[in-house]
Amino acid sequence: MAKKTYDLLFKLLLIGDSGVGKTCILFRFSDDAFTSTFISTIGIDFKIKTVELRGKKIKLQIWDTAGQERFHTITTSYYRGAMGILLVYDITNEKSFENIIKWLRNIDEHANEDVERMILGNKCDMTDKRIVSKERGEAIAREYGIRFMETSAKANINIEKAFSELAEAILDQTASKDSNNENQVVVVDRKNQEKSPAYRSCCTS
Amino acid sequence: MSVYKSRLKEFENLIKQDEIDIKALKKFIHSGIPECAKYRPICWKLLFNYLDPKRKNNWESHLERQRNNYRNLIKDFCIPPSCKDVDLSVDHPLSDNIDSSWSTFFKDNETFLLQIDKDARRLLPDISFFQEPCKYPCDIVVNSDTEIRLHHRVAPSTLSSANVERKGVGIKKINLIVKRAPENYQAMQKGQEANWEVVERMLFIYAKLNSGQGYVQGMNEIIGPIYYVFASNDEHAEFAEADCFWCFTALMSEIRDFFIKTLDETDSGIRGMMNKLTRMLEKKDIHVSNRLKEQGIFPQYYSFRWISLILSQEFDLPDVLRLWDSILADDSRFEYLICVCCAMIILVRDQILENDFEHNVKLLQNYPSMDINFVLSRANQLMEST
Ligand SMILES: Nc1nc2c(ncn2[C@@H]2O[C@H](COP(=O)(O)OP(=O)(O)O)[C@@H](O)[C@H]2O)c(=O)[nH]1
Ligand SMILES: [Mg+2]
Repeated sequence: MAKKTYDLLFKLLLIGDSGVGKTCILFRFSDDAFTSTFISTIGIDFKIKTVELRGKKIKLQIWDTAGQERFHTITTSYYRGAMGILLVYDITNEKSFENIIKWLRNIDEHANEDVERMILGNKCDMTDKRIVSKERGEAIAREYGIRFMETSAKANINIEKAFSELAEAILDQTASKDSNNENQVVVVDRKNQEKSPAYRSCCTS
Repeated sequence: MSVYKSRLKEFENLIKQDEIDIKALKKFIHSGIPECAKYRPICWKLLFNYLDPKRKNNWESHLERQRNNYRNLIKDFCIPPSCKDVDLSVDHPLSDNIDSSWSTFFKDNETFLLQIDKDARRLLPDISFFQEPCKYPCDIVVNSDTEIRLHHRVAPSTLSSANVERKGVGIKKINLIVKRAPENYQAMQKGQEANWEVVERMLFIYAKLNSGQGYVQGMNEIIGPIYYVFASNDEHAEFAEADCFWCFTALMSEIRDFFIKTLDETDSGIRGMMNKLTRMLEKKDIHVSNRLKEQGIFPQYYSFRWISLILSQEFDLPDVLRLWDSILADDSRFEYLICVCCAMIILVRDQILENDFEHNVKLLQNYPSMDINFVLSRANQLMEST
């Protein structure tokens, strides 16, 4: 028998303007390190991290996307299968905050209706260069009924927390669905995964 | 005489001729340039058709003209209106006149210059070259009394507008706010600039000249290797910027469709190219092809980047340069590129057949280091058999 390495697989997506720190956030979360220079993300990148929540081993499959408009056709095709989306702006960059609205619209158009969303105001370590107040971040999150957090990939603030809260929200959702419909959650083990392409996500139909 | 020596001699003989036999030269370059550090710049200039192999006696005047043209582009696009002779009574930063040169000046800041700035700074961070001072900085820019460097226009934490001091009636004085260089990058002293600043300028001018397309992320990864090849060679460094700009422009004219969203679905667009790779893989290795399909690993997960950046992010710089020698020297450059991509997949076929979904995505997104000649000879085989 193949050893079961995890109980659930969640597919997450990082979106937001270019330069807000998506790649750094993901690197901090997956490798617990910060590198100030990352090559620009072209297309889509991918990392895995397994976390434990409520006694369950949850494998997070996290997709990092390129922010520039040119890549939207290529990146929006990933929205559909995502169970959670982290929407990132940069607290030192007004434009990236204004664009959150645009990104939210993108989610509405391309993602599943019940996708869990979370807004992250990144680079909160740069207090002297802050342009977007925390209150404004909270306000927009409240308006759209979305979770919100300020983070710093550099100073390692709230990174773990952001991912685990998002994962927990998905877990709540799948758990409630589970009681309604058994097929909504796919419990996978390594062996299953080898055979079946359907394991990829429980959301693609 | 060793094989290497005789090859070198043959090569030197080829490029010594008054009329270079470009066909023979391409064949040579395809299998590697001898003493590449010394000879690569001249080879690439020939391959980009920047130098006409048939008219060597024209080279000097042609280069002079092109370098002058480029210098004029710098003057046109990189020197802000405040440093030119503009009548401030009609054209000033607060002017409502949409034709105002100031209004274009500030609009550039917001749109593509910001993106270029971010990407120029994170170009090839594994080598120090781009952070080092340029040996031949652009005199008009670095010696200006006003701060006119491009990245100052988009420096964070400052307003992207000019400070207008009103004294009495009318406008007396306009300062561009002095901006702080971001923490990670050492500001070069007056008279100096870093190589990444040169890259930023070239990309900015390219975007201005090709405003329909503008700047698309990834162009930095295309211009980087070209600039590196010219600027790190003592004989070619002095005019590296101008020469690189024109060679980059020539290369972009061939691959611009990769960067245009509306052309994605066409044959020459990125999706068309990825489809070619898929079809070739189906033909050459059906097992691997099926495996990837079964696992739902779509070509855009990895080959979007491979193709649009001509593999510049997949290997270390010396290997990228060697790879580009062959690609540029091939008569069907981008068909050959597809062969290289296909060879890369086939060379890790055993792992692909063994691995699960996530390991395969990781494998293809972070291609393992491998002897580049190995990849090339496999690609040659594929090319011959198509
Ligand atoms: N001070 C600070 N800088 C950050 C932080 N996260 C990212 N950066 C910087 O922001 C720039 C862009 O980061 P990157 O992750 O490549 O952005 P992406 O385009 O959204 O993937 C890099 O220069 C990083 O060093 C942070 O939390 N604090
Ligand atoms: Mg990124």
